[in-house]
Amino acid sequence: MGLELEQVRSEINKLIRRVCTSISPDCLELLKKAREGETEERARNMLEAMMENVALAGEVNKPVCQSPGYPTVYVRFGNSFQIDLPAIFSEALISATKEGYLRPSIVHPLTRANNGDNSGEAVPNFEYEFIPGLDYVEVWISFKGCGAELANAVKVFTTEQLGKNFSGLKRFILDTVLRASGIPCPPIGLGIGIGGQIDVAAKLSRKAISVRDWRDRHPDPLFAALEEELLEKINQLGIGPAGTGGRTTALAVKIGWASTHTAIAPVAVNFHCWVARRGGLRFYPDGRVETLLVGGQGA
Amino acid sequence: MKTVRWEIPLKAEMVRKLEVGDIIYLNGLVYTARDMAHLKMRTIISEGGMLPVNLEGGVLFHAGPVVKKRDEGWEMVVVGPTTSMRMEPFAKLVAEIGVKLIIGKGGMGEYSQQTFVDHGMAYLQAAPGCAVKLAQSVEKVLGVTWPELGMAEAMWAFEVRNFGPFVVAMDAAGRSLYREITETAQKKITDWFPL
Repeated sequence: MGLELEQVRSEINKLIRRVCTSISPDCLELLKKAREGETEERARNMLEAMMENVALAGEVNKPVCQSPGYPTVYVRFGNSFQIDLPAIFSEALISATKEGYLRPSIVHPLTRANNGDNSGEAVPNFEYEFIPGLDYVEVWISFKGCGAELANAVKVFTTEQLGKNFSGLKRFILDTVLRASGIPCPPIGLGIGIGGQIDVAAKLSRKAISVRDWRDRHPDPLFAALEEELLEKINQLGIGPAGTGGRTTALAVKIGWASTHTAIAPVAVNFHCWVARRGGLRFYPDGRVETLLVGGQGA
Repeated sequence: MKTVRWEIPLKAEMVRKLEVGDIIYLNGLVYTARDMAHLKMRTIISEGGMLPVNLEGGVLFHAGPVVKKRDEGWEMVVVGPTTSMRMEPFAKLVAEIGVKLIIGKGGMGEYSQQTFVDHGMAYLQAAPGCAVKLAQSVEKVLGVTWPELGMAEAMWAFEVRNFGPFVVAMDAAGRSLYREITETAQKKITDWFPL
């Protein structure tokens, strides 16, 4: 028994419904921890409301948040990849929208016309990664909130502007978080892309916070230390959940990096709301399917 | 810090009693509006027309719900706050049509703050991303204005009971929780990483 197209279709339909009605288990665990460590009453109430809302969404099988965000699909594949994933995902999104799992929020960028079913040019966005010899196909879907997107920022640094111990870089990131304050639905996850050119940095920043486990540690000690220091400093700013004060401003800081040209250091900052609606599936040629960071029923 | 439960419509004198940090629950009629509905209101008013809704003493919720069409009317599936800062240019327009409370997330800017002082208005922060919880307080969807703008951008009217809790984050005395938090945090950043 090999992997059947119908099985892929059905698993992806189920994935979308589960991802909309839950948050990923890593985020939920970090929220719980944050509530235990939160000293301000208002902030604790906010965190409790968030967790209650997630539990309720699971019970009544409704979307956790009214905004479906913007869908991005990350695909890792090897030589034998032959599935028409864009068609499967596009159909699955339209049917989930019709069933009330996703608000129809996708519009034409200029006329603002809405097709009413989350269909549209280049939606969902696909990011492909070819890994020679990979014997499975991994697909991730992330519905990333777009209030959070309003606060994103990019800056191309010079070597000098990075500063001693990267103080210039750190200040830019903290200033960006402060300017965002309550806008991106804190507690946030922060994705930072460093290197490449601005488009590369932007993609790295989105991918880092969309796909990585929010509890993991960067394998490179330089970036691990930077992630830890930034997370600690962000949480000392006092912005808090919902932006109305408290210790819990960020749950995670994740850096993605690439080498760059000697003249530049592009840096992109990408905000994720606390509603981490994302999860992945790994399809093996023999028909086995593995779930990755999927919340909700069966998690 | 106090907790109040109010019936809509509201009066400026009541709203002036609210202070930053107070908690509020609402009963009555709430309207949603986001970018497109605000643009539409501006166009109608600038052309000397009448709005199809009466917002005197009213509550405007920066939100786009998920609703389902039923045989008779609509069912509210979920509803939660959207980013209010996008509606900053409309503060005065909203004040002049009689809105007394704005519910949203992330807060608004100095132009809105001044308008709140001038007109006896306040801004309420909802728990972000808590759309299922908020929808539980919606008793009935009364109707929709400008449905052609799409589900998110249309203006929905619905009856709420015990709608909240909302935190008063900007009050009519000119205090903003966001501004106070930002000023303290900016000092910290400058201390850590001086320019």
